[in-house]
Amino acid sequence: MTGEGKRGGKLFGWLMRLLPAEFRDDYGREMEHVFQNQAHEAQSKGEGLRRVWWETVTGIFLTAPSQHWQMLKQDTGYALRMMRKSWGYTLAVIATLGLGIGANTAIFSVINGVLLKPLPYRNGQQLLVLQQHSRNSGARGFSFSEQEMNDYRKQSQTLADLVEYHSMSFTLLGLEEPLTLQTGVVSWNFFDLFGVKPVAGRNFLPSDEQHGAEAVLMLSHKFWMERFGGDPKVVGRMFEMNNRPHRVIGVLPPVPQYPDENDIYMPTTGCPTRSSERARTQRNFRMSDVFARVKPGTDLQQVQADLHVITSRLKQDHKDAYPETSGFRASATELKWELTRRARPTFLVLLGTAGFVLLIACLNVANLTLSRVLRREQELAIRSALGANRSRLLRQMLTESTLLALAGGLLGIVLAWGGLDLLVRFATRFTPRAGEVELNLTVLAYALGISVLSGILFGSIPALTGRENPAGTLHETSGRATATQARQRVRSALVVAQVSVSFLLLIGAGLMLRSFWKLQQVDAGFNPENVVAARVTLNFTKYDTPDRRREFFRQFLGRLKANPSVQSATTTLFYPLNQPFPLRGTILIEGRQAESQSPFVAHLRVGSLDYFRALGIPLMQGRLFDEHDGKDAPLVAVINQALARKYWRDEDPIGKRISRDNGQTWTTIVGIVGDVKETALDKDVTEDLYVPYEQVTSASHVLVRTTGDPTAIVKFVRDTVWAVDPQQPVDEIRTLVEVRGESLASPRLTTVLLGIFAALALVITATGISGVMALSVSQRTHEIGVRMALGATPGNVLRMVMGQGLGLVVAGLVLGVVGAMWLTRLMSGLLFAVQPTDPLTFVGVSAALLTVAAAACWLPAKRAVGIDPMRALRVE
Amino acid sequence: MVAKRARETEPYLPLTPAMFHVLLALADGEKHGYAILKDVARRTGGRVQLSAGTLYGIIKRLDADEMIEEMNERPDPELDDERRRYYRLTEFGRDVALAEARRHEEVIAIARAKKLLPKLKEA
Repeated sequence: MTGEGKRGGKLFGWLMRLLPAEFRDDYGREMEHVFQNQAHEAQSKGEGLRRVWWETVTGIFLTAPSQHWQMLKQDTGYALRMMRKSWGYTLAVIATLGLGIGANTAIFSVINGVLLKPLPYRNGQQLLVLQQHSRNSGARGFSFSEQEMNDYRKQSQTLADLVEYHSMSFTLLGLEEPLTLQTGVVSWNFFDLFGVKPVAGRNFLPSDEQHGAEAVLMLSHKFWMERFGGDPKVVGRMFEMNNRPHRVIGVLPPVPQYPDENDIYMPTTGCPTRSSERARTQRNFRMSDVFARVKPGTDLQQVQADLHVITSRLKQDHKDAYPETSGFRASATELKWELTRRARPTFLVLLGTAGFVLLIACLNVANLTLSRVLRREQELAIRSALGANRSRLLRQMLTESTLLALAGGLLGIVLAWGGLDLLVRFATRFTPRAGEVELNLTVLAYALGISVLSGILFGSIPALTGRENPAGTLHETSGRATATQARQRVRSALVVAQVSVSFLLLIGAGLMLRSFWKLQQVDAGFNPENVVAARVTLNFTKYDTPDRRREFFRQFLGRLKANPSVQSATTTLFYPLNQPFPLRGTILIEGRQAESQSPFVAHLRVGSLDYFRALGIPLMQGRLFDEHDGKDAPLVAVINQALARKYWRDEDPIGKRISRDNGQTWTTIVGIVGDVKETALDKDVTEDLYVPYEQVTSASHVLVRTTGDPTAIVKFVRDTVWAVDPQQPVDEIRTLVEVRGESLASPRLTTVLLGIFAALALVITATGISGVMALSVSQRTHEIGVRMALGATPGNVLRMVMGQGLGLVVAGLVLGVVGAMWLTRLMSGLLFAVQPTDPLTFVGVSAALLTVAAAACWLPAKRAVGIDPMRALRVE
Repeated sequence: MVAKRARETEPYLPLTPAMFHVLLALADGEKHGYAILKDVARRTGGRVQLSAGTLYGIIKRLDADEMIEEMNERPDPELDDERRRYYRLTEFGRDVALAEARRHEEVIAIARAKKLLPKLKEA
């Protein structure tokens, strides 16, 4: 054959691979013969081979799909008949895979909605959050002033535009009861920057932010639906707000709100503080967060460099505002990252966990299928003898396994759909993007993909470990085919793999459980029992002077305390475990010079007379606030032990003076109280400085300690507020026990989810172990009979069978321990006071797994002991 | 003795042109694949060109529907290529080909009646 001929032959051979193997086996040589004849004829006529090749290639491309389709129809029909014949196996596989695929689909729907989908804003990848930092500003930085925003706007080379945001409360009057509205105060072009268009009405215009313009506002979608039932006629309505009437000009679409869930939005001219002379003219009057959009073609590195140039210039031009030692700088973060920062670690751990559950399910089903293949060896042998080659049989088994997996996938999708609401509520705790979680085409494609992969995985293991020549079974004289040694090793390997992966899941759940238990044991430093909290944000228009504010709370608290079931009542700005933002500031300590790199800092806490009594915070030294600490009295403060340790380690802080306003006024420390977990149970205690309400008049909450059930006085608290002022809203009424429980909700939910997955994995693995052992015992019946006939006691047989089973489990445990030592590091961010390689958890989980495995081996072992040796010896 | 019920040809009609031509090629005797291919090309003046790819898809289909069968008898090996397989029409295949031919005949008769085709000249 010439070189060209050889090449042609090779190419023809490659083309033939498009056709099914069975078709090639039947007709391949003939087709080659016909093709060669055609080529020879064309060459002898001097016509060239192009036409022949063209017809051959197009013919094969046309024939291949229909042949594959025919085979698929045949295999599918056969698979459905086999599935109907073995209902038990079919249902077990569908249920097992359904649970695994359902868990994965559910978690992926959350991952897709929160982490993968682009932001629901125009070119969301261009949106940034800007922050300013100094050495003592902490990780989250500090806000911007109007002058600073103007500087960035004018000087930036990389930002197309930037907008501002801050949050405050307004009172809405004129309804059945006054409402506190969480309000976002924004630049007029805030929603334009995000590319958000209203679903009703219009967006803000530049004229809306002019001084003297009509007061306008936009409703958030959630507030619009909850309060007005989605009625578009709300556009144009006047809202009687506490300072002046506002006209509703538009309603926002249901987009994620960041950084707060607001009820309404208004332009900056709507906020008296923001539109004050001070805010406009003082460089250090900072109250706004800033969002920006980059210019097209600009990356984050370029923005960071740009911000560095601007801040260097600001330090140069305003040395007083930005001293060299302050470490002043600015940074930019992608908005998508900010929106998902908290969610990312938890969700990825959950996805990994769900993936492991599916892997265990596939391994278990592979084992079930192996057993079934063993029972079907005669049938496969006959089919092989009748002409079905190995690849045909493999294809048919894969079709069957994929169909089962697709049925499991369908069940999984239904389960995921059923659990979607719960998942959205879970995701809401971590990210404002929870509303974007849905079962869309991407999620369904993922479910389809993992179903097909599962089918191929659990179908290929039994298929590939089968005999090379299935027909060989027909020559065996025994009616009961014996599993090949290779298959037995495969089954054992599958059990070992299941045990090791189950161990990983159990360790993860065990670590979370220990972490959660430790979190629950944390002494928060206060007594939440019998305390109810309520938000009472005073109407800033009506209560515009400290005296008016003091008078309201004097009357309100006085009436509360007159109730015999009220032990103590206090007002405060925020309360423990309810700190929406830090109030961290620098202080001066009289007679001491702070180091330039680390000024003195403290967290400000506000409380009226009974604050510490109401919360059960112990006095450690000195005294608490008393009636003498009024508005005209010398300024006093109480500090916590952490602040005392930090700045007065070797001396007594009582009587020492500090200043919160750079030396304009001085405050005397009169007492030291115990440390309180103000921000979160899993966060360190902060250095706290408590000042009396009567001397600062900043408050938005009340705390009431009762003698009995605190929920019994909820109505009384409301009625008392309205007795003092019928137009004063009161809301967010809950007990501190609920608040503490709420602070544990996220780790509790995560622990529960991991626990469910781990329990599922354990059940699947236990049934897998039991199944393998039962099959092994039935296959070794003859051998066991021989042993017993030769003198083996029931104890010997029991030990033999249990030993075999537990041997596999121990092997799986060892692999699992090695894997866990490495993998658990990935979840260290989710753990509290527990090391990822916590020995107690590892030992406990190992013991639990061994116990369950032993129980799973027990029944088959008992059956082995009950074998009648005489009957067993007759078994072939 | 109960007469064997003739198999219905109706479910298999109409045949595709390529399938019909393969049956026609076998109507006058058994042939191997290449010969079928050549016969179809010659009779249709090259208008119907089967290739190795399309021919054997048709042969498989006709074989599965029992319209053709492979012959066990083969010519002298010295005169033959061992890769060749010979096919012939089955009785059922002949019935199907006949039914398809009659279907074409009816259509042509309608075309003649409508003067689309000229009437056949009487001898």
